[in-house]
Amino acid sequence: MSEPIRRKLERAGLVAILAVVVAVAIGGSRLAVYNFTIIALQAMVVISLNLLLGLAGQVSFAQTTFMAVGGYGSAVLTLRLGLNPWLALFISAFMSLAVALVVGRPLLRLRGHYLAMATFALALGTYSFVGAATPLTNGSIGISGVPPLALGSLSLDSPLSFYVLSWIACGLTMLVYAVIANSYIGRAMRAVATGQDVAAALGVNVTAYKGLAFAIAAVIASLAGSLYVEFTSFVGPDLYDIGMVVNVFLMLFIGGRGSNVGPILGAALLTMAPQYLAGLEQFQNLVFFVFLLVLILVWPAGIFGPVRN
Amino acid sequence: MTSDGVLLRADRVSVAYGRIDALQPVSFSAAPGSLTLILGPNGAGKTTLVKALAGAVKLRSGQVWLDEENVTALPAYRRVRRGIALVPEGRGRLPGLSVRDNLLLGWHAAPPQRRARFDGDAAAVLAQFPILRERLHQDCSTLSGGEMQMLAIARALLAKPRVLLLDEPSLGLAPQMIARVYEALRQLVGGGLAMVLVEQKAVPLRSARETTLVLQNGRVVFQGERRPSNDELAALYFGKKATA
Repeated sequence: MSEPIRRKLERAGLVAILAVVVAVAIGGSRLAVYNFTIIALQAMVVISLNLLLGLAGQVSFAQTTFMAVGGYGSAVLTLRLGLNPWLALFISAFMSLAVALVVGRPLLRLRGHYLAMATFALALGTYSFVGAATPLTNGSIGISGVPPLALGSLSLDSPLSFYVLSWIACGLTMLVYAVIANSYIGRAMRAVATGQDVAAALGVNVTAYKGLAFAIAAVIASLAGSLYVEFTSFVGPDLYDIGMVVNVFLMLFIGGRGSNVGPILGAALLTMAPQYLAGLEQFQNLVFFVFLLVLILVWPAGIFGPVRN
Repeated sequence: MTSDGVLLRADRVSVAYGRIDALQPVSFSAAPGSLTLILGPNGAGKTTLVKALAGAVKLRSGQVWLDEENVTALPAYRRVRRGIALVPEGRGRLPGLSVRDNLLLGWHAAPPQRRARFDGDAAAVLAQFPILRERLHQDCSTLSGGEMQMLAIARALLAKPRVLLLDEPSLGLAPQMIARVYEALRQLVGGGLAMVLVEQKAVPLRSARETTLVLQNGRVVFQGERRPSNDELAALYFGKKATA
């Protein structure tokens, strides 16, 4: 696939996503609206990883950590401190930013597999921590009854209103990605991804751009984590288990790194496939993983992945 | 610039990787429009020396001065903005970035007061490398070795350097390509840059103001304004006795 064709496909993909999102809003069943809300929020996390991995080339498994800061932050701040859900969402995002800046400094000194291993440990540690910090997080039972978001007096607790909100958030995230990817920042991040020393020789402050990618990705994952918990009104450790860590990665690699459409497609495929396969009972996982294998064999770089020469 | 016309000065620069000495103290200075040739066999410390000048490796001792400013403590990305550009060994290919992306990165590293609009600056540099203009929107991983070398030089030039460090620009290139790369370098040397050129072999490039350093085993074994002959080089590289 050549670069101009890829660009055309990307544009067609964006139009198709918009069409599907509008169609579901107008005529979708309750289940479809629910599913597509989940897809939008999941896609935000995938886009955040795309920024970090697809652009800046930093293999990090830590996105679930920032989802957890957002999710638990929103739940605890609204229920324990009685804060407005919007305020809780933004305070959580700031906490994620702070965490990203603190842990990012030592972590991003690591390259390649070492960064992957360290962030994997962070993700596992987060999962264990929220399961064990019972006074704060209610342990493995989790926290239910998280209040919904509201716009003025209009409560966003109807599925359709939250659906619209989620896709606006996802659309803005796509826009942020596109603006960064096509600016000097994105170019510098891509240079860091393929050659740190060369990037430095071209005047790129490698440490700063890695940190910037890590911080932006953390904030996006946190916002998605908060919205998810506001939507389902529940937060528990299982939302941030290894399954989720792997899922976010699979969604990105199947959709395609460095693309704006890929993460949405990856999130949609991997959210919906298990539901369609549910009827297969004990064969569900087998068929699902064969499906993943076929996708990876057909599109090794992801469906909208980078052009290969 | 200092009163004696020196732009770049290496003052007893030495580098160690862990406990291994990679480079014993080296001192030299370079003026605008001059050529400093650094010769030596594999592993002699040539790359280490230019990396030390560019800020890509830490010095064990010594100082690097640019135009009366001590830049020893500055990291590589800030030295570029001061005017020291490095064309790295192996040409520094950045897969996934187009030729234009590469040029934009270089242009962005130029000090704002020294750069005009990108299109104008790029056109001036591309005039020297017309092949790149045809490849402007191609991924740089599709370029041949020679084309990539030209791109590596072009993007370094867009950073508006005063000192240009080139690490083995002829390595792995076909003879015709080497000739074309050197033709471009010849035009640059006349243009007021201080050029520091690393090669293994003698180079087809002369300047009225030139210094040659020969490194062997991390040590300067020859330093002077004349070029050592091929026999002398062989003697210096292989430790045979020079026939003076």
